[in-house]
Amino acid sequence: MSEPLLTVEELCVCLGEERHVAVEDLSLELRAEERVALLGPSGCGKTTTLRAIAGFEPVRGGRISFEGRVQSDAGGVRVPAHRRGMGYVFQEFALFPHLSVEENVGFGLRKQSRADATKRIAEMLRLTGLEGLEARRPFELSGGQQQRVALARALAPSPRLLLLDEPFSSLDPNLRGTTRRHTERVLTSVGATALLVTHDRDEAMSFADRLIVMRAGRAEQAGTPEELYAAPRSAFVAEFLGAANFVEGEATGQSARTALGEVPLRVPASGTVSLCLRPESLELVVEGGAPARVVEREYHGASCIYGVEGEGFQVAVLAVGDAPFRKGDAVGVRVRAPAVVLEG
Amino acid sequence: MGPLGSIARTALWVASCLVVAAACLPGFYLLLRAGEVDARAWEVFFGGRTLELLGSTLSLAFAVTLAATLIALPLAWLTTLSDLPGRRAFTVLLCLPLAVPSFIHGYALLAAFGDGGLLDGWGAPRPRIYGFWGATFALTFSTFPFSFLAFRAALLRQDGSLLEAARSLGASPFEAFARVTLPQLLQAFRASGLLVAFYVLSDFGAVSLLQYDTFSRAIYLQLEGAFDRSLAALWSLGLMALAVLALGGSWFFGGAEGPTHAGRASRRPRRAHLGGHAVWGFAAVLGTLAAGVGVPVGVIVLWLTRAADRWDFERFWTAAVNSLWISLLAALVTVLCTLPLAWLSARRASSPLVRVLERAAYASYALPPIVVALSLVSFGIRAAPFLYGTFVLLVAAHVVRFAPQALGASRGAFLQLSPRLTEAGNSLGGSGLDVARLVAWPLLRPGLVAGGALVFLTTMKELPATLLLAPIGFSTLATQIWSATAEGYFAEAALPSLLLIALSSASVAFTLHREDSAGVGATG
Amino acid sequence: MDRPKSPLLTAALLVGAVALLALLAWGVSSLRTRSAPESEAAPPAAEVLTVYSGRNEKLIGELIERFERETGIRVQVRYGETAQLAALLLEEGPRSPADVFIAQDAGALGALARSESLAPLPEPILARVPDERFRSPDGVWVGLSGRARVLAYNTQRVKPEELPRKVQALTDPSWKGRLGWAPGNASFQAFVTALRLLQGEEAAVAWLRGVQSNQPRKYKNNTAIIEALARGEIDVGLVNHYYVFAAAKDRPEALPVQNHYFEQGDPGALVNVAGAGILRTSRQPALAERFVQYLLGESAQRYFTERTFEYPVVADIDPHEKVGRTLAEIGAPKLDLSKLEDLQGTVRLLQREGVL
Repeated sequence: MSEPLLTVEELCVCLGEERHVAVEDLSLELRAEERVALLGPSGCGKTTTLRAIAGFEPVRGGRISFEGRVQSDAGGVRVPAHRRGMGYVFQEFALFPHLSVEENVGFGLRKQSRADATKRIAEMLRLTGLEGLEARRPFELSGGQQQRVALARALAPSPRLLLLDEPFSSLDPNLRGTTRRHTERVLTSVGATALLVTHDRDEAMSFADRLIVMRAGRAEQAGTPEELYAAPRSAFVAEFLGAANFVEGEATGQSARTALGEVPLRVPASGTVSLCLRPESLELVVEGGAPARVVEREYHGASCIYGVEGEGFQVAVLAVGDAPFRKGDAVGVRVRAPAVVLEG
Repeated sequence: MGPLGSIARTALWVASCLVVAAACLPGFYLLLRAGEVDARAWEVFFGGRTLELLGSTLSLAFAVTLAATLIALPLAWLTTLSDLPGRRAFTVLLCLPLAVPSFIHGYALLAAFGDGGLLDGWGAPRPRIYGFWGATFALTFSTFPFSFLAFRAALLRQDGSLLEAARSLGASPFEAFARVTLPQLLQAFRASGLLVAFYVLSDFGAVSLLQYDTFSRAIYLQLEGAFDRSLAALWSLGLMALAVLALGGSWFFGGAEGPTHAGRASRRPRRAHLGGHAVWGFAAVLGTLAAGVGVPVGVIVLWLTRAADRWDFERFWTAAVNSLWISLLAALVTVLCTLPLAWLSARRASSPLVRVLERAAYASYALPPIVVALSLVSFGIRAAPFLYGTFVLLVAAHVVRFAPQALGASRGAFLQLSPRLTEAGNSLGGSGLDVARLVAWPLLRPGLVAGGALVFLTTMKELPATLLLAPIGFSTLATQIWSATAEGYFAEAALPSLLLIALSSASVAFTLHREDSAGVGATG
Repeated sequence: MDRPKSPLLTAALLVGAVALLALLAWGVSSLRTRSAPESEAAPPAAEVLTVYSGRNEKLIGELIERFERETGIRVQVRYGETAQLAALLLEEGPRSPADVFIAQDAGALGALARSESLAPLPEPILARVPDERFRSPDGVWVGLSGRARVLAYNTQRVKPEELPRKVQALTDPSWKGRLGWAPGNASFQAFVTALRLLQGEEAAVAWLRGVQSNQPRKYKNNTAIIEALARGEIDVGLVNHYYVFAAAKDRPEALPVQNHYFEQGDPGALVNVAGAGILRTSRQPALAERFVQYLLGESAQRYFTERTFEYPVVADIDPHEKVGRTLAEIGAPKLDLSKLEDLQGTVRLLQREGVL
């Protein structure tokens, strides 16, 4: 196992005059060429964490180390932002309005010779698909183009770590997907290590190798997208990563008795439990299963999400392919996959 | 937080407090002098006349502020967001009334509309210009450029996409303007409204010519008639109290407003196409220019036709040079001195201490210049006698009086410079100095220069402080004009007046030329 | 990092900047030097006299230059409004750099005398002004030139028979809407003070109220009144005698305004003085005395009569022929001009009556 590139230990950051605690006791590690996402609702402290790593916010407790060197700690060490060697892509892009695209992208290359810088700028513009726009000013560009300039600018000095603060949220929703894929391609091609902050789960799950879900300044759960999706530890994480059904039940070892009948458990448990079942873990049948009635029907062509209500439960069921049931139909709900036991 | 160390931050606070303390110096002086007042004086002060004067002063201030805003807003829109031909030239010309001393505006009105004036000679019907309406007219056309510049800057900062969003939601162009743009102009209204109102409070030249009694008139009468500085101080304190009330009121209107979209290079709204309506646009602009610039310049040209007593070119030239460089110096020093407070005001707008400081800087703006000058004499000759008689006190007087003008523009400049931009510079390896040089300065420059230009303009025409505080023998264009007109030698006042206006318009043209065309507006 | 719009513009801006710098350099170098050209024959200036003059540069500058040339004494003058300079002197106190104060009215001098800022003048100076009305009873200030109060009138709108003999007549309703005054003007206030002293407080109040009922027009100063008379805005106005001549000089066409003197002994026939005093804290008392002596000398007194049509205060010079009347013929009321210092009382009275 190689040494982690970035280590954050028990980070504690306070904001504002009232010393509001924005981040508390957060730890994470980043290895080279890894892509990690900080995921959480607004106000959960993810952007603050990113800014602290970049050096824009001082650290109240804990430590941030990069490439083995301490960057910020509670004892007063704070390497200035401009010496950390980390690229930053801002949510609002923060392009310099008085400079052209070329000058923006070349801003971090001032120490290089003109020839080298020009070459690098051209390379970055090609990479991000911005050829021909060198002389334009930011206000002449579309949102998507501005985002790419911001990316090119941050990557031009070849930073060892790229920090991205909700880089797609200011774009039109239909642009986000393509821009995101494009960004991922660029990052892969330069072999960048990236830490992304977002509140969008699709973004996080497709972009990142690992996720850290944050809530109220703390890390709720960390792991790969698959781990977090399949085995969330709390209802909060479960819901954040996708649609989820929650049922109460009495667990007796490998299964639990619930309003939906006997439900198998992923991990053995006993006593009163809260269970999480993804919609795709359930299916609707004409006969058998827990009796219920279809009250909602959301048809998406390739799939259909049914909202069904039964005795003591209300769940969403995902059906792939055929969707024969209609609103008002009497159906049966069957559990297809084991449920996750939630902690706390 | 930003890259500033704690030392830098402390220095900022100290510098800001010092500047504000200087601005409040006249206030302390007034309190001292007022303490020497005897019982009879209180009797006079609290007599019926005071209430009457209070009423007349307030109503004039309200009327002029309202009128200046109503004139300035459409003109600002016409010159920024429409396609009216000649916009740039008009913008420069519309700032010129600031360069004309207010008593010339008064003379101009009299010459045009007064008994025995032009219209009287033609037998045309003319409005009654004496008293309230004349004073309002003269002062409105002297001060509307403050509002014009502020609104213009706000309109230039508009985000086109917001307007387009409103339009796509079914709002007509006018509705979009009213519901999206207008609220953002509130800040501009607040800043410029204060400047206009306080200018009215402190003005003496126009109101005395047009025979309208205000507080400032009472102050002058006390000083001139009775040599009673203590009673004059009482009246001045009254003015300051008015000013403080106004500032307190603005507390509720203004408030913490964050920087604009952090460099999210907002698109400037598309210019409205006027088509046939351009003729109305021209009418509005030309009409305003006629009243604010044409009439005074016309009067001055008329003066040229009178016989000149004797013409001293060398004195004139020296005065011109003196005017130029003292105004430049005052502009530079004032902008520098107000930078710390402007930064604080833009970045820490929510802190109550900052809001107090910001408003305290306006404290002396409502005072007649003679009061400010006397307070600096009093302070200078006692606390720093080696500085007395040098330029330092004169420049200090200008800083104290004109700080609000520079403050407004500098604050606007800082608001436009989002902290995200400096952070971006840092993240790209730029040290604090690099970022200041390459990112902050180019973006701040238009606003700072605009503030400096405003101070330049008002210093050029400044009179009372120059007479009292400048080194002996230092004459400026303004003192030359005063010298000539005080004794009725109008012909000799003509050339200095024209040069004054010409130099001032050059400075305005220069400022506007330097505006970055990439959507970074200047004045504010 | 903004790009100039064209090379031509850059060049123009550069040239402008260089020109500006040159001007600045000149400005800085002319900091301490006065702008007046110095004659080659002038002996090197060794000492410097500081004068605060409420008298306009146009009306005394030439005289001061003459003094400099003749004596080799450098004079630096701060020009300003009399009242503002008086306030300045009072504010500066003992550290004031001023040596001599020239005031356009005796009131300012009286105010300074009261605060003991003026030094007693030597006998030879006081002796030049025989008429004790025109100098301070304590000998701390001396008049330089006299100005008589008159009723200026528009010759086209007022018949000579209408003109009043006493100032009291102005309360007559026949003058309603035809009269102008400048209540803020020091000369007017001096006149009202004289009225109070000569006829008593109540009579003065009655006069004020009487004139007020005729709705007189208020003006900033005497010049404005003459202008208004010329325009036909008013028919008569209370001013000082010399303004008419000054205004006539400026115009190519004849001015339809003339002076009318009230009868001898009437308060309206008051003669006030512009004067000078030497500051007690002056560092150049000898030079100051020479200067004041010069102002009372023949050449200076003649200058006053010719330049501004004022009355000389010395015995051996006559007023300008255009003035048409000598001091004796005016018959000003017997009054201690230093008592006109009670301007405070006058101002309060004017304010109480709503005149100010």
